[in-house]
Formats: sequence, C-alpha cells, structure tokens
Amino acid sequence: MSQNVTNNPANRDNDEPRAVDVTVPIWLVLVFGLLCYWGQLYLCNHAGGFDKQVYAPYQTVDEVASMNPKSDTDKFMIMGKDVFDKTCTACHQPNGLGKEGIAPPLVGSEWVLAPGPNRIAHVALYGLTGPISVKGKEWNLTMVPWKDTFDDEHIAAVLTYVRNTWGNKASPVKPEQVAAARKEGHSGPETSPELLKLPVQ
Amino acid sequence: MSVTASPAQTAPRPSPQSVRTDIEVSCRLPLLGLFGSGVLWLLLGLLFALIATLKFHNPRFLSSEAYWTYGRMHAAHTTALLYGFGVQTALGVGLWLLCRLGRAPLAAPGVVLVGIALWNTAVTIGLIAILCGDSTGFESFEMPAYVSAMLFVSYLLIALCGVLTFHRRAEGNLYPSQWFVLGSFFWFPWIFSTTSMLLLCLPVRGVMQSSVAWWYAHNFSSIFLGFAGLASIFYFIPKLMNRPLHSYYLAAMAFWTLALFGSWGGIPGGAPLPSWIISLGVVGTVLTTVPLLAVAANLFHTVRHDLNALDNHLTLRFTYVALVFWLLAGVQQIVGVLPDVSALTDYTWFTVAHWELFHYGFFAFAMFGAIYYIVPRLLDWVNPPMWSPGLVKCHFWLTFVGILISYLALLVGGVGQGFLLANPKYSFAQVMMSTLMALRAGTPGDLFIIIGTIFFLLNFALLLLRWGFRYWVENSGGLRKERL
Amino acid sequence: MNNGPLLFLGLFVTMACSWLSFVMGPQLQMGDMRPTTNIVVGASGQIYPHPEPGTAHQGAEVYRANGCAACHTQQVRPRDLGSDIDRGWGVRRSTAYDYLYDQPVMLGSQRVGPDLANVGKRMDTISILLHLYEPRTITTNSIMPPFPFLFEKRKIQGVPSADALRLPAPFTPTPGYEIVPRPAALSLAAYVASLHQDGYLFEAPPPLRAPGGTNTPASAPAPAAAPTNSPAK
Repeated sequence: MSQNVTNNPANRDNDEPRAVDVTVPIWLVLVFGLLCYWGQLYLCNHAGGFDKQVYAPYQTVDEVASMNPKSDTDKFMIMGKDVFDKTCTACHQPNGLGKEGIAPPLVGSEWVLAPGPNRIAHVALYGLTGPISVKGKEWNLTMVPWKDTFDDEHIAAVLTYVRNTWGNKASPVKPEQVAAARKEGHSGPETSPELLKLPVQ
Repeated sequence: MSVTASPAQTAPRPSPQSVRTDIEVSCRLPLLGLFGSGVLWLLLGLLFALIATLKFHNPRFLSSEAYWTYGRMHAAHTTALLYGFGVQTALGVGLWLLCRLGRAPLAAPGVVLVGIALWNTAVTIGLIAILCGDSTGFESFEMPAYVSAMLFVSYLLIALCGVLTFHRRAEGNLYPSQWFVLGSFFWFPWIFSTTSMLLLCLPVRGVMQSSVAWWYAHNFSSIFLGFAGLASIFYFIPKLMNRPLHSYYLAAMAFWTLALFGSWGGIPGGAPLPSWIISLGVVGTVLTTVPLLAVAANLFHTVRHDLNALDNHLTLRFTYVALVFWLLAGVQQIVGVLPDVSALTDYTWFTVAHWELFHYGFFAFAMFGAIYYIVPRLLDWVNPPMWSPGLVKCHFWLTFVGILISYLALLVGGVGQGFLLANPKYSFAQVMMSTLMALRAGTPGDLFIIIGTIFFLLNFALLLLRWGFRYWVENSGGLRKERL
Repeated sequence: MNNGPLLFLGLFVTMACSWLSFVMGPQLQMGDMRPTTNIVVGASGQIYPHPEPGTAHQGAEVYRANGCAACHTQQVRPRDLGSDIDRGWGVRRSTAYDYLYDQPVMLGSQRVGPDLANVGKRMDTISILLHLYEPRTITTNSIMPPFPFLFEKRKIQGVPSADALRLPAPFTPTPGYEIVPRPAALSLAAYVASLHQDGYLFEAPPPLRAPGGTNTPASAPAPAAAPTNSPAK
C-alpha cells in the first residue's frame, strides 16, 4: 500500500478541496418536512403538554388525574391492597383462597363477612392459634400477631380490602373499630372459642 | 518557488508552498504533542477497558485493591479515551484544518504548547483521582471539581489560538470542514462550563443533575467529537480523491441540522423525568436522519466515480471506514431511541455497542486517517514514505477487525439481553448469564484494538527516530536538503 | 456562509436551543422542587421524600467512589416501558421526587446487575454486607466483583466481634480469623439498605384497574380541572 497519492515528482499535494454549488435534492427537503411534521405530532401526543407532572406513559395531566383514586374509599382500598400484597399473600395467597397447611381462605369466609369486624380485627392484631372452623372445614394453624407492625389505619385498610375483594361484600372497617379492639387487649394469640365469645360488632 | 502569500481574498488557487511550509512548521510541535499524547492516552484507556472486560471472565481478577475495581476501571477508561485522546486529537486535527483551509500559519504556537502541557497535567491528576475514588459519579464527566478549571483554561488556550488562526485567514471562502471545526471548538467550552457549574460548583437539585449529565455526554460525543471527525472526513475524501465535494449546500444543510437536532438527545426512554424532556430527545434524534442522509448523499456522490482510489491512500481507507461507521452508528442511535425499541434496549449492552462503534470506530478512525496524513507533512518528509507500510497495514486491519468483533458481540449480546430482560419470567440471574458469552466473545476485539494501537505507536516512534536521525545528519553534515 | 461572526451567531443559536430544552427549561420547571404532599396512600408520613440518615449519606459517597453506577441503575421504569415493576423492582415508576435529596444523582445507565431503586425492601444490611464481601454467597453465579478491600481480615481476639460476617462454606476465613466490615462497608450497606421509593404519588398513581385493562370504569368521566393537590391522607 503506497503512502502517497500523487504521482507528481515535485511531491506537491493536491490543492485544498472545493465544494460545488449543487442544490439540495428535493427528496431530502421532503424527508425533512415529513420528519418535522412527524416530530410535532409526536410532541403533541407524548410531551404531556410540557407539564412537569406528566410522566410516560401518560399523555396529559388530566389522564394522570383520572388514574388517581378519586375518593377516600378508593385510597383506603389501595392502602389495604398494598398491605395485603406485601404481608398477607405469603400465607393467604394473592387470590385469597388460602392454602392447605398454610392458611385458611378469606374468600367467602363467614369470619371475614361478619356484619361487624371486631373478631377479625382481633385476629389481625393478636394472631390466632389452635383449631378453627372456616367454611365448614377445620383448620389448625398459627397466625402471627400484627399489632406491633401496623397501626390502626393500616389494619382497618387491609380488613376493608379483604372484606370487599374477590366477590366478598361487607361494610368497610374504620380505624376506630380497630382501635377499640386494640384497647380490649389480649395476651398471646386468640383462639377460636375466645373469639366466639366476643359479640360481633 | 517562494511567493509571499497575499492577504486578500482570492478564489481557490494553488497556495504558495512557502505558506504551506510556514503552516507545517508552526503546527509541528503543538500537533506532535497533541497527537502523541493523545494516542498514548488512547492506549492507556484501552488497557483500562481490557482490565474491565477481563473481569467478566473472572470477577476475582484484580479485585483485592480498590484502585482496580470495575467501577473505577470503567470511569478511567472513558476519561482517558474522551479527554486524553478525544479532545486532544480533535483539537490537533481541527487546528491543522483551520491553518490549511485558511492558508494561515497557526497563531501563537507557544500558547498552544502551554495549553497542551496544562491539559495533560489536568487529565493525569483527574485520572489518578478517579482511581483513588474521587470520581464525580457522572458518566463521561468523572474528573473531580478541582481539575475542572485547569481543563477549561487549557482548552481555551488551545482553542482560542485556533479561532485566532481562523481570524487571520488569507482565504476568504470557507470550506465546510471549517464550519465543523469551529462548531466543535465552540461547543465544548459551553457544555463543559455549564456542566461543571451545574453539577459540581452549584449543584442543581435532584434529577436535574441527570438531565444535565446526559445532555453533556450526548453533546460531547455527537457534536464535539462528531464535528471533529466529520471535519476530517469532509476534508480528506474530496482532497485525496482529487474531486470537489459534491454539494456545498448539502454540506450546509448537514451542518446546521446536525447542530440543531444532534444536540437534542441522550436521555433513556424510561428515565425519571417528565415525558416532555424525553420526547424532545426522541424527536431530535429521529430528526438526525436528515444530516445522516445529507452527509451520505454528499460524500457518496463525491466518491462514486472513483471507488478504486480507496486503495491508493491509507488515509482514505481510514477516513472512508470512519464515514461508514458514523452512518451506522447514526442509524443505530435513531432506531434505538424509538420508544418501542428503547424499551427493549435501554440499559443493555446495545448502548455500549453504539458507544464503542462511535468512539473507536468512527472517531478514532477519522483521527488516525488524519494523523497519518498530517504528521509527515509536519515533519516535511513526505517522500520517501515515512510510515512503515507493514505496521500501518497491521494497525488498520487489527483495529478494523477488533472493532467489528467487539461491536457485533455487544450488539448481539445487548439485544438478547433486552429481550430476556423484558420478560419477567426470566430471572435476572438468567438474563445476566445470557450476556456472558457475548461479553467474553468481545474481549479478543478489545485485544486486537490494543495491539493495533501499539503498532501505530511503534510506527510513530520509529518515524520520529528516523526523522530525528535525518535531521541530525542534515544539520551536522552541512547538507541542506532543498525545501520542497 | 463565509462570515465568521455570522457562523458563530448561528452556532450560538443552535446551541442555545439545546441548552434551553435540556438545561434551562427543566431547571425552570423543576429547579426549586420540594418534597411533595401529593401522596396517594402507602407512604409513611405526610411528605415525600425523607432525607436519608447520616450513615446512609456517607454510604452514597462510597457508592460513588467505587463506580457502582457503572453496573447498577436506580430507576424503575413504568409498566409500558419495561418489566421493572413485574420483576418486583418497585411498585411504581421512579419520578423526580425520588432523587430530591441525592447528591450526586447516580441513576446509572447499564444493568449489568439488577436495579437498586428499591433494593432496601429486598435485602437487609447483613445480606448486603455478605454480598459485598463475596457476591457468590448470595447469588451463585454472580459476576459482580467482590469488594474485599471494604473488609478487614483479622485474628480473633478472644471472642469474635459482633460485626464479623457469618460466611457460609467455602468462603469462611481460615480458622482463628474473622472478616469484619470497615466503616466504609457499613455505611455503604446502610445506604443500599435505605434505597426505597415508597408510596404512590400523583405523578405515579397506583394501578386502579387490573394490568391489561385500559378502559375507564363506567363512572369516571374526565375530571373538571386538573387537581394539583389531592388531599393528603
């Protein structure tokens, strides 16, 4: 491979390059125009109105607002789902059906659907041990207490969630009701007979 | 054969050889300094990269000391490459182009030399700081705050001499390469000072830092280094093929659209920023299709009548390959920014593949092509050929094959990684295992590039030795070779 | 285009466009960002985010010094743009608020290792320390390099230290020696354990409908005005 391009014996380099006055081809101008058009369309749809509250994949602030829960009940359910997903699914399963040898079902459970939530509030707060009958089946397992992990609001939220999901339909649980159960106090986990002694409220 | 240069604007005529000689003499020491130190930094950066890739073969490799941990090797590699090699060679080629095209010798070469010394000192301090744990934490901007001022000042010393040279030009008409060089020189101080201010001196709040850091990294590579490489490509291809550039207006269109749209981008699609910032980046990057097409059309029309000329000149080989890599990297970047694609390829080796193609493929090749042409002229020794042809061949083929291996390995690995990552059924451990083969396959590529660069340095050293010997023989022997 | 000053003016204008879009614009919009009260259940407390405790902040310095961001990202992408949420790397996408107190913000750009935005919920300090000393104690085939220089191997003086790592075989040190984390390791572990992006925000609301459902329920027309403050719970 030779290093020199010129065959000029005086070894003069070529002159400096020049550029010729050829005009820009029309197809390139068209491509440019089309891309600009596409660009402004893209910005219309994906720039969120240049609002700092709009993150992908949402397209407008209105859309973001519509995705936010609208009522306090909605928010409470979400809080409850949050707690349930993080804590309860391990045993009661994400579909609430429980698992043999692990935890009884919550779906359609008479305990969950009782008119008043104080019994299940006790279970959530203090745990449960010993035999208990759920939906005609006998379960004999242990549930740990959660009174030191969650406050009344979070326990009320998860109970509300459990009572209103998977086809369950029951009244929401208020934090005051959980507070009352907490005030009643209990040493060690609950047992089925002790729970049945509590009047439903 | 000496005619004094007339300062009046003239139509392009063969320039008087004495002006050319003045240019080469004025540029000699500064450019040898810039190129020599630049390639040494390249080698150092490549060695850091090699250590980093070897850790994918054995994570325990060099893990006992903090200096050699992967995070620091990665930062040291990019710093040495971008600031040691990238900035210096871009400045060197840019200065020479301004001199040649403006038909004026380099202004204040002594000041440039001071700038070079300062720059190298600053990068050395910065690199040692990174190895000792003082990196800033921002990619492509890892050197700590205490070297920022030194870097900025030394850059200005060099760049302003270039601007002064431009101001003193004898040739009134500007050639596109000059726009690119001036654009390049102008961009760096702005992005560097802004980023230093907003990230190091008076840090902005929260994720704004990431926006600035991504903007800086993108502009540094696409515009500052990109313009320098394109300046070289636009100059050498027409010149060495002895044909005019096909279209002045296409070049102008490429220049302005690249400056405008090429500077918008660099932000990953899923970044925790409001969607408008990311969308602007997407639009800007997709619109770089226009300069891509403009450059491709312009240069292909220039070369298409005489494709055999590529074999005649080694600089042309390097430059042409650089152009193809630039186009390929541009296409990859455009495809990679589309939301459906970026959802797959963000945070994978796909983006690293693009980085390597751009910096080792396009930029390094463009610079080497220029260096192979410029250095013999600086030393006034064009005939007989100075470069040892065997070493040049080794350099070209080793680096070319090396880049292909490295790029393809990372590209395939990255796309595979992206597909697996997008499917939550695959655990992260499985995703990671899938990339290992690709990463290990890329290591020979890095090795080839290193060996190729060593061949270049050997060639360079031999050349300087031979020139030095000849110079000594001439002067001490009393024989004055007639200046061409 | 032969006029030097005009050329510089053109360059100035094009550069200014990019600067306005990515530096000045975002700064004007988000430069004075403060912790938000726009929290939609789940966050503990009324504002988000909370500043990290001291050791965690020192740990961020160790994270920076060792370039951990070269392999790990700290940003969760929304469901439509990646599988991050489905992998359990977070309950919601990351937003600007999550990084309000970070200096420097180390979002990372490569996932050689998993995302760490919420790793504090997945790993505790002990497992983090074990992972740092020898990643293969936690992940069998890990390619993460070990960081033994963050630990000290010393002779057991009488009773083993409380801090000493409980390493499984075959990584246990030679008998009579123990591996004790240095302060850098402890602060780094505290930092990594503190990484979590809690709660749903207005900008990143919870999924109201099951994944895959995009239709609004019958009762939800577009609200009349864009609320900027939803009542804090």
